[in-house]
Amino acid sequence: MDMLASLLHITPAVLWMVLKVVIVFGGVMSLAAIFTWVERRGSAMIQDRIGPNRAALFGKIRIIGLAQILADGIKMFFKEDLVPTDSNRNLFWLAPFLAFVPALLGFAVIPFGKSFSSGGATYHLSVLDPGNGMGMLYPLAIGGMAVYGVLVAAWSSNNKWSILGGMRASAAMVSYEIGMSLAVVSIFMTTGGYDPSEIISSQGGTFLGVLPNWNIFHQPLGFIVFFTCMFAETNRLPFDFAEGESEIVAGFNTEFGSMKFSLMALAEYSHMMTASALIATLYFGGWQVPFVQNPPVLLSVACFVLKLLFFAWVFVWIRWTLPRFRYDQLMALGWKRMLPLAMVNLVFHAWRMSQGH
Amino acid sequence: MAVVVKRAELTWLDRTYVWPVLQGMSITFGHFIRNLFTPTAKRYTVQYPEMKSVIPDGYRGLHELKRFEDGAIKCVACFMCQEACPARCISIEAEEFSDLNITQGFEEKRPATFKIDMLRCIYCGMCEEACPKDAIWLRKDYELAAYDRLSMQYGKWDLMNTYDEVDGKERISQDPTPSVPRRTIAL
Amino acid sequence: MFITFALITLLGAIGMLLQKNVIVAGLCMVVAFFGVAGLFVLLANPVAAALQIIVYTGAIMVLVLFVIMMLNSHEEEKAQASHPVQKWVSLALVVAAAIGAVNLVVASPGLKALGIKGAEMPQAMTLQKVGTLLFADHVLGFEVAGLLLLAAMIGAVALTKRNL
Repeated sequence: MDMLASLLHITPAVLWMVLKVVIVFGGVMSLAAIFTWVERRGSAMIQDRIGPNRAALFGKIRIIGLAQILADGIKMFFKEDLVPTDSNRNLFWLAPFLAFVPALLGFAVIPFGKSFSSGGATYHLSVLDPGNGMGMLYPLAIGGMAVYGVLVAAWSSNNKWSILGGMRASAAMVSYEIGMSLAVVSIFMTTGGYDPSEIISSQGGTFLGVLPNWNIFHQPLGFIVFFTCMFAETNRLPFDFAEGESEIVAGFNTEFGSMKFSLMALAEYSHMMTASALIATLYFGGWQVPFVQNPPVLLSVACFVLKLLFFAWVFVWIRWTLPRFRYDQLMALGWKRMLPLAMVNLVFHAWRMSQGH
Repeated sequence: MAVVVKRAELTWLDRTYVWPVLQGMSITFGHFIRNLFTPTAKRYTVQYPEMKSVIPDGYRGLHELKRFEDGAIKCVACFMCQEACPARCISIEAEEFSDLNITQGFEEKRPATFKIDMLRCIYCGMCEEACPKDAIWLRKDYELAAYDRLSMQYGKWDLMNTYDEVDGKERISQDPTPSVPRRTIAL
Repeated sequence: MFITFALITLLGAIGMLLQKNVIVAGLCMVVAFFGVAGLFVLLANPVAAALQIIVYTGAIMVLVLFVIMMLNSHEEEKAQASHPVQKWVSLALVVAAAIGAVNLVVASPGLKALGIKGAEMPQAMTLQKVGTLLFADHVLGFEVAGLLLLAAMIGAVALTKRNL
């Protein structure tokens, strides 16, 4: 590390930072791209179909259809970039970025492996080092920003379907944010800290001797609330109110084509990655390996990635299992079920803590 | 009489919504696993260019103009199919092909051209029904595609040679000289 | 860093004032909020920055934009020609307010404390500290604010729902 840094004429800290950014964003981006394919193949298998398995490199190497990602990318690049006549051009151009950037930024505080020290310096495996004071508030804040992508995309295309979709989605996102935040707050409370690294380190060890000491076993109710809210936040089925073929065409991205559309789609999948990373961190012990005290760094990273992939897969799995909600059902669920449940969870844990647990 | 529809009573477990969701997820996961461990060739989907489904009898595909054993066309250019065709895609021009008198047992008409516009044809099979000589059949070939409109205009020889490979017949591009009477006509 | 965030804030605010399109003005305001959040981070108070983004940009501005979109005011209003006197009076007021603000900042004890060498650097604010401050030192103010918000909430519900 030091040698490489001196070769590049930068300090090891800067080099490490750059490396982390490249690893995290490259990783999340490529995972998001791969999950566009996983979604299609997975849904096909769930529905007894076959899915995209034909795209091949050089017309020969099929690699179970993974080349489909490349093919889609190339197709998207070479499509005509249409802008509707009466749209607000600047905002129309800005909207995909507004959707895409928050989806990636949320990942910055999440530690994807155990910190290690070498040569007298400690290296943390998260883009923002722990103790930055933002902690878990940061992904919540950035998650709130994701609304703007949908809202701006919807409004700037000057299309009735778009604006209906955008309004529905942003209303849902704002409503579910409250339940989600309350669920997270009870985690803060029981942990006694709000930094992701603290939350993860408090989840080491075992619970009742047989289970890993994960927060899901302490707060199953909070987990259900948070998990449900994550679906609403990422705008995925059964809560995908930004879109809806039967009622509002493609919703907020009706007017978007070519790379703009693919950025929108990638934003959804990167958001999914961030959401599953959050779920893994908050409720499933992040990089903690079950029943292993002080796991090696690589094992911890592998464990985190495994959890991340599992929850991303659960997002896909649930999408192809459940039918969509109706809009009023969604709102009723958000305000009349999830919010009170989160409150109950919060009060219950406050009471338990006051009893000295 | 009013019919009382009995509504399914939901137990408290169903009302939580979480348990039914888990049940549904187990079903979909079962399908996923089953498909994951089934080779692609054995799944329900017929993978078209490599696999082809069995075409049932009575399927109405590409036409064939039947011929006799010596290769002469069975069609007598009676224009029945052209009249019967609801899409008006058949156009026939008749010709006399023999100097022999009809009293000698020769049918003297045959199509000089027999064109079917496959872009207009709706594969209804009316021509087959109308034909008095069983000279036009609709058979099982459904892979009809071309890069231009002209190649979808099937002529007499195209139609006669349609199924030569399937039936093991030779390709012909010329009417054979008639030698024997096709059938005896009672006068 | 300070200059960057201050510029972002100022440009956002100016953009908000100058934009004739209401939605774009709202988005400019979001930019200004971001600049303020950055300034909070520079003031060693990341909690306030996060809350600024969560509460203001994440909730309040979204609702404001929501209402604007609902009311469907897509048309840009034409500015009325202002009277010259109005211009001069407003300019004078702005200058006076600016001078007053700068004076206030320069005269503040915090700034003087910064000038003293070897003075204690402010510690980074954490959520724990905020909690202790709210529930130990300023508990009365906190409760009063809570009560006020509750009253406002009940009022809002009573206004919108005629037949309870």
